[in-house]
Amino acid sequence: MNQTPNIKLQVQDLHKSYGSHEVLKGVSLTAHAGDVISIIGSSGSGKSTFLRCINMLEQPHSGSIAVTGEQLALTTDKRNGALKAADQTQLARIRTKLAMVFQHFNLWAHMTVLENIIEAPVHVLGVPKDEAIARARKYLDKVGLKGVEDKYPSHMSGGQQQRVAIARALAMEPEVMLFDEPTSALDPELVGEVLRVMQDLAKEGRTMVVVTHEMGFAREVSNHVIFLHQGRIEEQGNPRDVLAQPKSERLAQFLSGSLK
Amino acid sequence: MIDFNLIVEKLPAFLGGTDGAPMMSTSDGLQLTLELLFLSLACGLLLAVPLALMRVSKNRVASSLVWLYTYVFRGTPLLVQLFIIYYGLSQFDWVRDSWAWEYLREAYACAILAFTLNTAAYTTEIIAGQIRNTHYGEIEAAKAMGMSKWLMMRRIVIPSALRRALPAYSNEVVMMMQSTSVAGLVTLADLTGVARRVFSDTYMPFEPFITVACFYLVLTFGFVWLFKLAERRWLAYLAPRKH
Repeated sequence: MNQTPNIKLQVQDLHKSYGSHEVLKGVSLTAHAGDVISIIGSSGSGKSTFLRCINMLEQPHSGSIAVTGEQLALTTDKRNGALKAADQTQLARIRTKLAMVFQHFNLWAHMTVLENIIEAPVHVLGVPKDEAIARARKYLDKVGLKGVEDKYPSHMSGGQQQRVAIARALAMEPEVMLFDEPTSALDPELVGEVLRVMQDLAKEGRTMVVVTHEMGFAREVSNHVIFLHQGRIEEQGNPRDVLAQPKSERLAQFLSGSLK
Repeated sequence: MIDFNLIVEKLPAFLGGTDGAPMMSTSDGLQLTLELLFLSLACGLLLAVPLALMRVSKNRVASSLVWLYTYVFRGTPLLVQLFIIYYGLSQFDWVRDSWAWEYLREAYACAILAFTLNTAAYTTEIIAGQIRNTHYGEIEAAKAMGMSKWLMMRRIVIPSALRRALPAYSNEVVMMMQSTSVAGLVTLADLTGVARRVFSDTYMPFEPFITVACFYLVLTFGFVWLFKLAERRWLAYLAPRKH
């Protein structure tokens, strides 16, 4: 493979169908170190499905995925004809490099904040517990949360929960962070606190792929924006150009529909 | 009228005393009831966790076998199960020739076996139900973090399901405690067995049976209270926030 060393994530020609309905019709993405890529598009455009295919939470039907140059070995799943990981151990290893932040946070409800954050570092990565706790405190501090270590997620606001989820993802010290509409489930007044954290992460040079409805974030924070329409990349490029002067009619329509 | 003198006179019998011997000199009564209960609950719970995992597994054969087991044991009276084990097993030569016969010839072991299989069936369904109820997002988060299936089961799904099973399981414990009263029908002198003995000695029905009813009430109260504490400890995350 003739990949330049700073390519963190390379997805090529991803196809995905539900039955006869093809939701992804060949989507590719390359993220270099420090890239912040926003994926926008109306609901049903396939943007969340694409993100979830990257770490195999959804099974694509064809295409390839490589993380830091390591190609994910895929094989046909006899049950449904889609692709599945050929080697579960390799999939698990690649997933640890792709931390994901979900729309609905998906914190483990029966664990405290601290337990949530140290769980995977200790039991998946094998980090010693005291080191994992120190790491957890560092990242809680980074997302601006103090004195919440012993709280349960259900006793916190949505914005706080999402920031805990970001700290949990950071504690894996991943190569790439995947965000699946991280502010869509939040009350409007809580969106800002999460976006600010994500903006800080972008400034640190973290590689991020963000599915979002926040046009402000796409424009101000990301360095590349991808507009998906009916399972295809309709337009992509520098957000200042693409969002200011959309070339395709679809994107112009989509942007006029969103207020910002 | 109720003869309180008889109640006071016979009270030691419920606590392992006999005529001329002090309380706790035998294991009859309260001690036997608690032994039967705790041994069968412990074995039942140990069986129920792996059975629940089989019950929810994608393996059709394993799931159906466990379904059949829980269906049979939840669909028949405990007393009938106890009679089948106590009177029925001795009909088989291979049972009488096996190492287990040393135990199975005793009513005690038969009662524990019947109670264990019975409570394990109910507990399996309680736990399996809660495993199925696990929030799908929590499973996705575990996968996305690179957890293997077993690690996810061990660290996320089972601990979470066991906690959520607590309220239903506390009912199972109280029901099981009352069900141990059938042990008297295979010669064991548990609380109810002692009450029946007092009754047949004195032909006074109210005194022994009201006494024994009070024992069960106090035990029920104790278990309900213990489970309240357990829920406060392990289900704190479901409680409303305090501030």
